[in-house]
This record gives sequence, C-alpha cells and structure tokens, in this order.
Amino acid sequence: MRDDDLDRILSSQQEIIPSSGFVDAVMDAVRRESEAPPMPFPWKRALPGLFAACFTLVSVLVAAITPFTRGTPTRALPTGLSALDLILQAWQTIGGNWIALALIVSLASVKLSMRFVSGQVG
Amino acid sequence: MSAAEDQAAVEKVLSGDNSAFEGIARRWQGPLVNLAYRFCRDPSRAEEMAQEAFLRAYRSLSQWRREAAFSTWLFALATNLYRSELRRIPVRTVPLDDVMEPMEQPAIDVGLQAGDRDRAVRRLVFALPRKYREALILFYFHGMDVASTARSLALPVGTVKARLSRGREMLRSKLSQQLMPLQLRKEAR
Repeated sequence: MRDDDLDRILSSQQEIIPSSGFVDAVMDAVRRESEAPPMPFPWKRALPGLFAACFTLVSVLVAAITPFTRGTPTRALPTGLSALDLILQAWQTIGGNWIALALIVSLASVKLSMRFVSGQVG
Repeated sequence: MSAAEDQAAVEKVLSGDNSAFEGIARRWQGPLVNLAYRFCRDPSRAEEMAQEAFLRAYRSLSQWRREAAFSTWLFALATNLYRSELRRIPVRTVPLDDVMEPMEQPAIDVGLQAGDRDRAVRRLVFALPRKYREALILFYFHGMDVASTARSLALPVGTVKARLSRGREMLRSKLSQQLMPLQLRKEAR
C-alpha cells in the first residue's frame, strides 16, 4: 500500500457531531467553576503542623546559637566579631547552605508540578 | 467567529464576562470533540473529554500567550489532556502482533472490498504503540500538517516526521500480512 492510499484512508475519518446539549453542559460547568467559593484554608489540619514546624525552627536556632553564647552572657563579643559574623557562623553550624539548597529544589519541584497540572502550553 | 473574535471573547472572559466563553465553546466544540473521538473512538467519552478540555481552557485562559494562535494553544491543551486521560484509562487495544488475521472467507464476494481495507487500516492504527498512534492521529486531524502536529504534541518537527514514517511503515507491514491471504484467495478463484 502506498503512502497516498494510507493518507486517503486516514484522512477520511468518520466525523461525529457533538450532542445538542454539549455547549450548555460546558457552560454549566464553567458557571459552577466561577461561582464555587474559594476553598478555605484548612487551618484546623494545618495548625499542628505549623506549631511543630515553628517549634523545630526555634529549637534549631537555639541549638545553633547556644554554643556561641554559653558561659559568656555578659562578656562583650570578641574583637572584630560582629553580629553578622555570629549569624554566619550559626548559619554554617546548622548547615544553612544545605537548607537553602533543599528549599530551592522543593520550590522548583512544586512550580514544575503546578505547571504540569495546569497544562500550561502555548 | 474569526481568530480576532476568539481573542475578543478571551479578553471578555478574563475581564469577568463568563458568558463570552459560550462563543468559544460553540466554535470549537466540533474540532475538540472530534479530536477526542479520534483518540478514544467512543462518542460519549469523547464529549466528556472535550468538556474537561474546555473547562481546563477556561481555567487557564490567562496563560494563553498571544504570540500563538488561540486554536494552537487550545489544541495543544486538549491534546495534552486527552493523552493524559488515555494513559489513565486506556482504550482497549490489541497489540499490533495480536491483531487477528481474517479466518473466514467473505460469504458473497471474495474480492477485497475497499471498505474492509479502510476499516482494517483504522483498526491497525489503534494497535500501534502509543507514540506512533498519537502522531498519526494528530497528523491526519490537522490535515496532514506536520508543524501543527508537532505543536500539539510539543515535540520537534523532526521527531514527529520520524514517528510518522515509522508508524506508516508498521501499518503497511501489518496490513500486507493481513490482506495477503485474502488477495491470494481472490487470485486463486
């Protein structure tokens, strides 16, 4: 069989006509979509997680800063050690670079997933 | 409705006039339902899939970048949805090698009718591996326009050409295997 024959056969496919109520069904769905109230944020379910996250964050910060402040509550900072240096040291102690990298990767993955889900094209 | 009217309707919908979407649905219902039908061969499922495509288009209208024609964007969105939908719930197809060859002689006319051959070709398209089947379906839906097919599939033109070529080759090969016994019987008489 030649390409021309295949082209002729496959080009002459049966066409169907949408049912008479098709557009109405689409518009009903569109109306439902536009009138649906925005989904409320599930605070009840999220609160325990938020508390746990805050607690963990505070614990990590306390654990990171304690070694630099323990035993020297009234002593002045060593010469040349500014608050910025302190923060940088704490940042290194808690592995801040890895945390930042993990956050960036998570953000990128969420964005990518949302892009796929929304079928963003054109 | 022209491309300019499509754009005007989109602008109206984006500014809050949802009823303007009806014009878009009326204009594109035929093409979207028929595209879905070519993917699933089931009229009622085709309508369901097309309705979901319109709903998704409505939700994503703000993402249409005006440098592409609205129809291009809509077909790409619908194609993407139909492909996902058929991956989720596939059409019942028979693998290409398992497509049965005709066992019985035609009762009245042993000659191979054109209608039989056409039906065999269409049935075989559905037995092709997915990537070739999708390329062929879209190529013929878009009036044999490779560029439109490539845009709908979000693939390079070269890849689409290769898939079309390989798909046709597989079709021809299987078809000749199917039709040869009938042809021989006809010549023997």
